[in-house]
Amino acid sequence: MNPVTQAIYSGLMAGGVYALLAIGLIVAFRTSRVLNLAHGETFAVGGVTAGLVAGMGVSKFIASIAALVVAMLYAVAVDQILMKPRRHLPISSLILITLAAAFLTRGVLMVAAGVDPLSFPRLFVGPPIRFAGGAIPLQGVALVAIGFTAAICVSLFLVRTPLGRKLRATAENPDAAELLGIDTDRMRLIASAIAGLLGGLAAVLLVPLTSIDYQAGLGMTLRGIIAAALAGMSPALAVVGGLSLGLSEAFVTTYFGALAQDPVIFAILIGVAVWQTRKIRFGGSQRA
Amino acid sequence: MKYGMIAGLVLTAGLATQALAQNVTIGVIAPTTGPIATVGTRQLQSLQYWAETANKAGGVKGKQVEIAHCNDEGSPEKAVNCARDLISRGVALLINCSVTGPILATMPLVVNGPVMLTPSPNVIPAASTYVFQTSPSDRSQTQALADFLKSGGVKKIGMVAATDSSGEIGVRSAQEVYPAAGIELNLARIDLRATDASIQLAKVAQADVKVIYSSYSGAGAASVVKSYNNLGLELPLVISYANISDAFTNLVKDEMPKRLLGTALKSVAPALLTADERAAYEAFEKGFKAWRGQQVDMLTLTGAMLADTAHAIIANVADPKDPKAVKTFLETTPIKSIQTLKFSPEDHVGLGKDGVAIVEFKNGVWVEAAGIK
Repeated sequence: MNPVTQAIYSGLMAGGVYALLAIGLIVAFRTSRVLNLAHGETFAVGGVTAGLVAGMGVSKFIASIAALVVAMLYAVAVDQILMKPRRHLPISSLILITLAAAFLTRGVLMVAAGVDPLSFPRLFVGPPIRFAGGAIPLQGVALVAIGFTAAICVSLFLVRTPLGRKLRATAENPDAAELLGIDTDRMRLIASAIAGLLGGLAAVLLVPLTSIDYQAGLGMTLRGIIAAALAGMSPALAVVGGLSLGLSEAFVTTYFGALAQDPVIFAILIGVAVWQTRKIRFGGSQRA
Repeated sequence: MKYGMIAGLVLTAGLATQALAQNVTIGVIAPTTGPIATVGTRQLQSLQYWAETANKAGGVKGKQVEIAHCNDEGSPEKAVNCARDLISRGVALLINCSVTGPILATMPLVVNGPVMLTPSPNVIPAASTYVFQTSPSDRSQTQALADFLKSGGVKKIGMVAATDSSGEIGVRSAQEVYPAAGIELNLARIDLRATDASIQLAKVAQADVKVIYSSYSGAGAASVVKSYNNLGLELPLVISYANISDAFTNLVKDEMPKRLLGTALKSVAPALLTADERAAYEAFEKGFKAWRGQQVDMLTLTGAMLADTAHAIIANVADPKDPKAVKTFLETTPIKSIQTLKFSPEDHVGLGKDGVAIVEFKNGVWVEAAGIK
C-alpha cells in the first residue's frame, strides 16, 4: 500500500466532514455574530439518532433522514429557545450559553443512548475502490462527493442568492437589515436550520465508517472551529479550510506520527490567526 | 428527664456503632461516563451484582456490603479526588476500575492503606505497596501473543497503538517482547480522537506482515476495525484485552475482518478452564444474566474476579480495614475465582501468561483461536 495515496484519501474524507462542520458554524456565526460552541452537538445528535433508530431495525435510509431532521430541529431549538430571548446579552455571554447547551446535550444523549458507542450500516456498500496504491470505501467516496458538494452549494447559496444576501446582511448589520425590511429573526432561524442540517449530514456520512457516542460533539466543534478559522470565517473559503485541515492531519500523521498531530495543527492555526490579524497589527491594508 | 436523654443518646450511639460493625464499605472508582465508560460500567455492574447477591444471602460473614461508587470519567484529576473522598469516608478497600493514568495517579494516596485492587493490565504494582492487580499484565499478554504467533511461524507483526498512556505501555511491552521472540515489529500510533485508521494500517500492513495487532482500547478502537474493512485487508486482526466485550463486537458486527482475534482472560473461552473454575464461571454467568438480563463478557468477568477478591478479604481477614493484615492475606492465599489468582510477597499481579488465552470471534462467541497460517 502507498501511505501517501492513503493519506490523501483519509485527508479528503476528514476534510469533507470538517468542511460541512465549518460551513455550518460560519453560517450561524455570520448571522448571529456568536461562535456556537454547541455546533458539534448537531453531529452528535444526528449520529446518535441514526444509531438508535437503525438499532430498532428500521431501514438505514429512514434512520439517516431521522438523523437529519433531529439535528436540524436541535439546532433550531438551541437558537429559538436559548439564544433568541437572550440576544440583548453581550456576545461573550451568548457564547457561554452555547457551551452550556453543549454540556446539557451531552448529558441528555448519555441518558438517552447510554455510554456505549453506537454506529449504523453504511449507506453505500461494496468493495473499496483501489487506485494508485490506496483504497477508499464507497461510503468514503460518497462522503467526499456529498460533503464537498453540499459545502460548495451552501457557499454559493450565501454568496449568490437573494436569501443568502439577506442572511449576510443580517450578519453585517442587523439593525440596518431590519430597516430594509429583512426579518432578521427568520434569517437566524434559517441559518440555524442549515447549520443543523449540515452537522447531521456530516454524521450520516461519517459515523458508518467509525462510531459515535454522547461525547463526540465538542471534539467536532473544535475541528469545525479550526477549519472555519483557517477559512477566515468566510463561507466561500469553508471548503478550503476543511480540506486544508483534513489533509494536514493526514500528512502530519503519515510523516511525523500521530503524536505530532495536535502540535502541528495548532501551530498552523496560530500562524493563520497571526496572518489574519495583520491588518489590526499594522494599522491598515497597505502594509499588510 | 436529663438521665433519660443521656440513656437515649448512649443507646442510639450503641446501635449506630453496631450498624457500622455490620457493614463493610467498598470504595469503587469506575468511569461510568467518558471515553472508557464501557469498561468502568461493566466492571461496576459485576461488583454491584456481587454486593446485592451477598447481602441477600445474609452478607459476607454477617456483614452487609456497601458499594460506594465514584465516577472519575477516566480523568487522573477526578480519580485523585474520588480516592481522597472515598478514603476520607473510611472505606475498607478501594477498587479502581479506571484506566492506566487515573490508576497511577491514585496509587500514592494508598501508601498507608487501604488496600487497592485494580484490574488494569497496564499497572504493575510494586510488591511493597498495598496495590494488587487482578489481570495478567500487558507484558504477559504480549508474551502470550508472541508465543501464539511464533507457533504459527509469524516473523513480522504490524501494530497500531494509541497515543495515550495505555498505548505507551503497550508499545513498551511490544518493543521488549517481540524482538526477543524473533518477531519484527512494525508500529504506527493513532490519536485517540481519530475517525480513520487507514493511514496507520496502510503503514503497518506490508507484504511480509502476517497479522496486525491493535492495542487501542476504548470506543475509538472501532475505527481500527472499520478502517480494516475500508482497506479490504484480509490479514487476521488481533484486538486488545479491553475490547473483548459485547458492546465492542456489536459495534463492529457489520464490519468483521476475515479473522478477529483477541488477547483475553482464559475464562472468555470457558472450555479452557479447570472444572472448579468452570463451575465458578457458570454460577456467575447464570446469576449475572438473571440479574442484569445480559450476557457476561470479559469486562464483567474481570469485575467478578475483583468481587471474589474483595469477598475473600472480608470473609477471611478479621479487620478488612487493616491494610497490613489484608496484604499478608492476599500474598499468602490463592483467591478462588473464575480464574485462580495467586499473589505473592514478591509479585502483586494475580495472573500470569498462563491466565491469558488468544481467542477468536466465531459465530457470535469467543473461542480458542486456531493458529495463524
